[in-house]
Amino acid sequence: MRYAVLVILNIPIILLALFNIFTQYKLRNITKQRLQHQFTLWVLVFIVLVCSFPLYNYVSGKPLLDSAELSLFDIVQTTAIITIFYIINSQRQKIERTEKTIRDLHQELSIKLSEKKHDSTKN
Amino acid sequence: MVRKNLEKNICIVIPAFNEEVTIGNVITGLKKYFKKASYQYEIVVVNDGSKDHTRDVAKKQGATVIDHILNTGAGGATATGLSYAGQNGFDIAVTLDADGQHSAEDVLKGIHLSLSTKTDLLVGSRLINSKGMSKVKVIGNMGLSLITRILFGINVTDSQSGLRIFSRKALEQLRWETSGYEFCSEMLWRAKQMKLVIDEYPIEAIYTEYSRSKGQNNWNAVNIVKSLIKRRLTEMFE
Repeated sequence: MRYAVLVILNIPIILLALFNIFTQYKLRNITKQRLQHQFTLWVLVFIVLVCSFPLYNYVSGKPLLDSAELSLFDIVQTTAIITIFYIINSQRQKIERTEKTIRDLHQELSIKLSEKKHDSTKN
Repeated sequence: MVRKNLEKNICIVIPAFNEEVTIGNVITGLKKYFKKASYQYEIVVVNDGSKDHTRDVAKKQGATVIDHILNTGAGGATATGLSYAGQNGFDIAVTLDADGQHSAEDVLKGIHLSLSTKTDLLVGSRLINSKGMSKVKVIGNMGLSLITRILFGINVTDSQSGLRIFSRKALEQLRWETSGYEFCSEMLWRAKQMKLVIDEYPIEAIYTEYSRSKGQNNWNAVNIVKSLIKRRLTEMFE
């Protein structure tokens, strides 16, 4: 039962991440390649979340889905890890985009200012 | 007889940070050689937030100076210089170090080679013939080239060389993310991703006491490796 709670709690986070990536792609903020990578990443998180427990039972020789209940702490901890992973990943992408913007801005500003200086020297 | 080649417009980009001692000689050396070769050219010094008189010396020698408001690192300064070359319609761009370790003769040799072989990114390798280089530098550069090969699958002997020749196609397409010395390896990786033609040719490195004291040491290499691994891993999640 608690395993089901864990999955139900985390699926919205994964769906939110997927929705967010797709929106960014539609807004042309990310490339198709980045969309594919991010999509694969979150689908992997989903697979690990759904399959880890049955897989553990299978590997340890017990019948599938027949295992001891998860503690409340296990549920909270796993949900927190997935939430933090989502936040870190989106923040990292935001930082990289900002860095790129600043770099491009600095570059363009330097070129334009130098051209302006050059023109005023000529005049 | 000197062959006229005025139809090719060449931009020589020199990223410089506190190089007032050598920048003047580098520019005059280039001018002397380029006069003989009769190329149309422009020397662009990207003054990367220098605290000394790099800007004034370069300007006095007739170079175009682009001032960076902030010090961004070699990668950032090179990107600005190449962006200027791209925006101003140059056919070929060359980057070289401001400490005087590259000879104008090797620059010209590279341009001829790039034009004749239609290479998009031609790297001047100091390690094909490493005469004049200290053993420590040879080992450090070989190590970085090996790491570039492992991380990005690019097989060049001198991945950190500052002497590079870019075709028009490379100027239009090539972009990189890092702004420190690690950009040398990243640039090769991006070129490979863009399916640009990469090649290398042997050059001679001229080391003086000054350039030895200014150049990268092997501790910088540790930072470069860290940054390259980080970049490679980050890209796996993008």
